[in-house]
Amino acid sequence: MLRYLISRVATAFAMVLLATLVIFLIANTVPGDPALAQLGDLAASNPEFVKAFRAKWGLDLPIWHRYLIFLEGLAHGDFGISIASQRPVLDDIRDFAPATIELATISFILSILIGIPLGILAAVRRDSWIDHVARFVSLIGVSAPTFWLAFIMLALFYGMMEIAPGPGRVDPIAFLPPRVTGLLLIDCVLAKDWETLNDALAHLVLPATVLAAATLGLITRTTRAAMLESLSQDYVRVARAKGLVEPHIVLGHALPNALIPVVTLGGLAYANLLTGAVMTETVFSWPGLGRYTFRSAVSVDFPAIMAITFIVAAVYIAINFLVDLSYAVLDPRAVKR
Amino acid sequence: MTNRIPSIDRRGFLGGLGAAGLGAGALGAAGLSAFPGAALAQGRRNALLIGLDIGDSITFDPARLAQYSSPMTLKAVYDTLITMAPGDYINLKPNLATSWEYRADGKAVRFKLRQGLKFASGNPVRAEDVKWSIERVINLKDQPAQYIAHVQGVDIVGADTVDVVLKDPTQPILTILAAPSFAIMDSKLLATQGATAAADAKDADKATTWLNGNSAGSGPYSLTAWERNQQIQMVRNANYWGEKPGFERVVIRHMSESAAQLLALKRGDIDVAFNLIPEQIATIKGDPQIDLIGTASLDYIYMAVSENAEANPALNKKQNRHAIGCAMDYDGIINSLIGGSAVRPANFLPVGVNGATAETTKEIGFKQDLDRAKKLLAEAGNPDGFAFELTYSNNAIAGVSYQNLAQKLQADLARVGIKANLNPIDQVNLRTLYNQGKLQAVLTFWNPPAVENQLWASATVNRVAKRVHWTPPADMMKLVDDASAERDLGKAAALWRTYQQRMVDAAHLFVLIQPVYQIAVRKTVTGFKPTAAGWMAELGGAKPA
Repeated sequence: MLRYLISRVATAFAMVLLATLVIFLIANTVPGDPALAQLGDLAASNPEFVKAFRAKWGLDLPIWHRYLIFLEGLAHGDFGISIASQRPVLDDIRDFAPATIELATISFILSILIGIPLGILAAVRRDSWIDHVARFVSLIGVSAPTFWLAFIMLALFYGMMEIAPGPGRVDPIAFLPPRVTGLLLIDCVLAKDWETLNDALAHLVLPATVLAAATLGLITRTTRAAMLESLSQDYVRVARAKGLVEPHIVLGHALPNALIPVVTLGGLAYANLLTGAVMTETVFSWPGLGRYTFRSAVSVDFPAIMAITFIVAAVYIAINFLVDLSYAVLDPRAVKR
Repeated sequence: MTNRIPSIDRRGFLGGLGAAGLGAGALGAAGLSAFPGAALAQGRRNALLIGLDIGDSITFDPARLAQYSSPMTLKAVYDTLITMAPGDYINLKPNLATSWEYRADGKAVRFKLRQGLKFASGNPVRAEDVKWSIERVINLKDQPAQYIAHVQGVDIVGADTVDVVLKDPTQPILTILAAPSFAIMDSKLLATQGATAAADAKDADKATTWLNGNSAGSGPYSLTAWERNQQIQMVRNANYWGEKPGFERVVIRHMSESAAQLLALKRGDIDVAFNLIPEQIATIKGDPQIDLIGTASLDYIYMAVSENAEANPALNKKQNRHAIGCAMDYDGIINSLIGGSAVRPANFLPVGVNGATAETTKEIGFKQDLDRAKKLLAEAGNPDGFAFELTYSNNAIAGVSYQNLAQKLQADLARVGIKANLNPIDQVNLRTLYNQGKLQAVLTFWNPPAVENQLWASATVNRVAKRVHWTPPADMMKLVDDASAERDLGKAAALWRTYQQRMVDAAHLFVLIQPVYQIAVRKTVTGFKPTAAGWMAELGGAKPA
């Protein structure tokens, strides 16, 4: 088992590095000049100034050399300095990641808490009204474009009905609690600032719902399909023949077997929520990693792009790894094989 | 004396509210009530809340300023020697300096300083601070240093007098010193934060990080926090020398989506919305709770056409470029793409600066004249027109999408047989290719770092000229130098008019849209004055209604 773990971690690390190399090469093929993304017109036209800028950010070095510098920094746990924000990329990420983690986690919990029960009910009461409702919810969730859904939700609940708070993590006038973890909910609890906690929770409802929509749809559909398959298996028929009560059959026998595809999908969905919230963050003025990633990409900010690629790849691989491990719990046969 | 900037936290703020006449019982109730909270609602009255896209802000160190959204904050927390009043971009106004004149030998400008002023920290504003602040900009060698490259240094003549000494007195300086980069800072306070103005400041100065969350100025407000991509917080400067600032706090909230700004404005969560697009402006016209304040900007969208014969022989012929100038439907562009909310200068000097008015454009600018365009094409030997590639970035500026503008131009030009092939690309790629002179024609944007004609004009005969492969004749270069050096505003205006005429004739640059920005302000706020001088608005004069 230990050997298995070590080889998995080593492969994962190699995969992450490969991902950064690919992104590095792609980012270098665009004609856009990082110096021009940052400098005003006069400065950008002063050869001396541009030369100094390039030297400062290592843009004058050959491409392989720059990649080596990235690797060297990585070995020291250092992602370098962002060209756009002019401070350590790690500081930027530490600033912006918590907002995204908070949003993605709440969305994930929301989609699991609603998606799995809805999927189970839809499978058990197949073709009943609840199945149709579940199908409709999934369809909307999966097919509605995020930015459209975000605007509609905002206009409806914030603009027209006036029952939800507006964009941002807290009210503009609120004072933020001292930053400890950066996760606002936890910082509020630590500071015993219940009013801001209340406000922050209220501000999370709309963006978390929007972000959860697509995941919720997928989880509902997958749970339903897996449950239908489980429920038609022989062991379920045996359980029924033994006279077990229906809830026990569904939750005790069919569900654990149906969970494997759901866990696989859930893991990927969580990684996707963590890394793919750009539209939601934009509409809800959410100071998260998605907006930061977008800005880094358009301003050809190499250190930031590389660090984010590394982190995104690492998140996906780590979550996949955890999913694999969870099979051991859900289906012991998976480890033996 | 204290060096601490007065900051404010929830407790202090609520305490302040209590002092303002709220009973303790009301505060207790406010603490218990659910969202949005009575305390928040009360706080709103004492705070100015601004919705703005501040995603570009990377620093609040004036000496490193090169962004678009940060100057508004810097102008609110720092004073400059001289300034410009909203709407008048020709005559300078006193600020920390009460008067100024060129020294008799012409090699320096002598400023008389206002006396008895204090920074927010309580430190006095001294001639030493003026010298230190300007020399720090020079020695930090960041982007703002480029604009005062002709300044030798600052000499302290007396406790109330400084000389800004010039290496090249023909280069303009006064208008430049009005820009927020040249803020006068509290050098005594900043020395404790690792700042230096010495010759080695480029490496030795360590104050930028501190300045990103604090300020050391004498302006109406003080910066207390900047949370990246989230908000900027300011509090009233109790030591401010001018009229008492109207609000206890100012919060600039990052809102990158204009639709979100509109909703927040309508709900009253923000008092001011900066980034509404023309369609959204139309929906709040006549709203009893919202004022629309129009302010002519000095920014514009223009088309640059290269005369590089290798890239496109047709564009090398001046008549063909003139034909483009005569084929475009200027009024139609402004009416259809930005709802009429824009003006158009004759050439690269925006309407509102010395020598450029709407009248000038009528007299010397291009006008749509399709017959003339066809005649010019025939003269050039292209009676059936020609084709060229028009490159633009795939985004929008001031609510105008370049894509829509390009399509409009394509349709206009097609009427005389000129075929524009549209080529949308990424903004940074566009800037790179344009600066390298590799594009035939490009649609892009210009906004000035300071209101100084020379900054526009010198660009057109130097770096922008290179991008369009144009070698301006020697008398054109001299004209720009003479106009820049002319200190009599009337004489300068005449020279700038001639300059624009020559630029129109050269026909490389076609300015299409100079937006009149529409800023939406709730009626709960009065005295909010937008400006085109480069810092978006004067926050000091705004008050609760």
